[in-house]
Amino acid sequence: MRAYKFLSDDGRGVFSGFDWPLPNGGPGAWVESDVAACRAGIHACRTADLPYWVAGRLYEIELDGPVDELPLKLVAPQGRPLGRIDAWDTPTREAYGQTCFVRAHEFAARAQGALDDWAPTPDISFRESARLGFIAALLAERLGGFDAHLEERRRQSDWLVEHLALR
Amino acid sequence: MADRTPLEHGYSCQEVVELASEYLEGAMSSEQMTRFELHLNLCDGCSSFVEQVRATVGMARVVPEEEIPQELKSKLLAAFRDWTRE
Amino acid sequence: MARLRDGDEHAFDEAVTDMYPGMFAVARGYVRTRSVAEEVVQEAWLGVLKGLDGFEGRSTLRTWVLQIVANIARKRAVGEARSLPFSSLELERGEPAVEPERFRGPNEAFPGGWRSFPSNWQTQPESRLLARETLELVERAINELPLAQRTVITLRDVTGCAAVEVSEAMGISEGNQRVLLHRARARVRAALERHFDG
Repeated sequence: MRAYKFLSDDGRGVFSGFDWPLPNGGPGAWVESDVAACRAGIHACRTADLPYWVAGRLYEIELDGPVDELPLKLVAPQGRPLGRIDAWDTPTREAYGQTCFVRAHEFAARAQGALDDWAPTPDISFRESARLGFIAALLAERLGGFDAHLEERRRQSDWLVEHLALR
Repeated sequence: MADRTPLEHGYSCQEVVELASEYLEGAMSSEQMTRFELHLNLCDGCSSFVEQVRATVGMARVVPEEEIPQELKSKLLAAFRDWTRE
Repeated sequence: MARLRDGDEHAFDEAVTDMYPGMFAVARGYVRTRSVAEEVVQEAWLGVLKGLDGFEGRSTLRTWVLQIVANIARKRAVGEARSLPFSSLELERGEPAVEPERFRGPNEAFPGGWRSFPSNWQTQPESRLLARETLELVERAINELPLAQRTVITLRDVTGCAAVEVSEAMGISEGNQRVLLHRARARVRAALERHFDG
């Protein structure tokens, strides 16, 4: 099964620090979950999950074995990175962050001052896009309830799918 | 507790701080781990905190261990010889 | 184990040396002074030798030995009329890993969020992180912990015992053991933070 996986700027697992065998002309090697720093499986994203896990690098990944389809993530006993999504570079990451920043401020503006303390301040760099995406979703929620939170996340996912030409 | 709020919120910083040891022990359910990592991914403060705990553990590991006093060891060896003779 | 039963003195020497840090840590968790802790360890080894032939290996040797230490230490502590350190009362009392004032309140934006982020220690010069002064601070901080926390962090982090060994030796649940470990690490971390951040 094909999915997506974010890694850190230097090609490591974001939480495990695991040094992933990266694709180079061809797919990277298969990684088994017991090798990847004792985590209970290889974690990956469907496109809907991407906004929650935004990090430095994005790869398409192939998962093998029974894939556990959990809320917000996929977990499988084996995975191999197929290719890097080169379109997910620093400028794109910042553009995404900027979009989230703007959305957050749009929501805050609708509250006529009540949500000003929630709006992201200029000291937050656009590169902190995971954080900005979360803030935007929280602001959506303050105005429109939890459904609005999820809707905002769907919008973010759509932005990523479109700008990165995914699927 | 926190686990009744939507998964998509992740934990708060204050919750992460209390759960850091469980996370590092691998003693969390898959759902707890999702909440925890979702938050770590968006919060530099908590990422730093978890790294601080890791560093603390790393330093504790190299604290010199207690060494058995020679006198005590001699007494124990004598007792062992007595015991083997029985 | 078999070597001990065979009367292998070299094996005994090794066992006595290797197990000392853990045994001392357990004993010290109950009794007042270092010298009494040493007596407890000595008495424990006599108990180990007495029981060695009957040891069925249902737990690891280390767990069993530590349990013997704990039993003897507990008796000594009662004799000293001290309250036992691993009481559930202590665990029921809350002890946040970080003071609540460092987080935003329930009526603020981003409730439960850091007011200001902890610093990234990776930006400290490596020489400072690895310095003897830093290590001595960690050692001091551990020694200043409440006894139960000190015992658990010493067993788990300093001597490398497994969670199950520690909880079985101490006669506490793994959950409680983790609470004590968490609090201990939190206090040591806080001491380091004060040191680095000034």
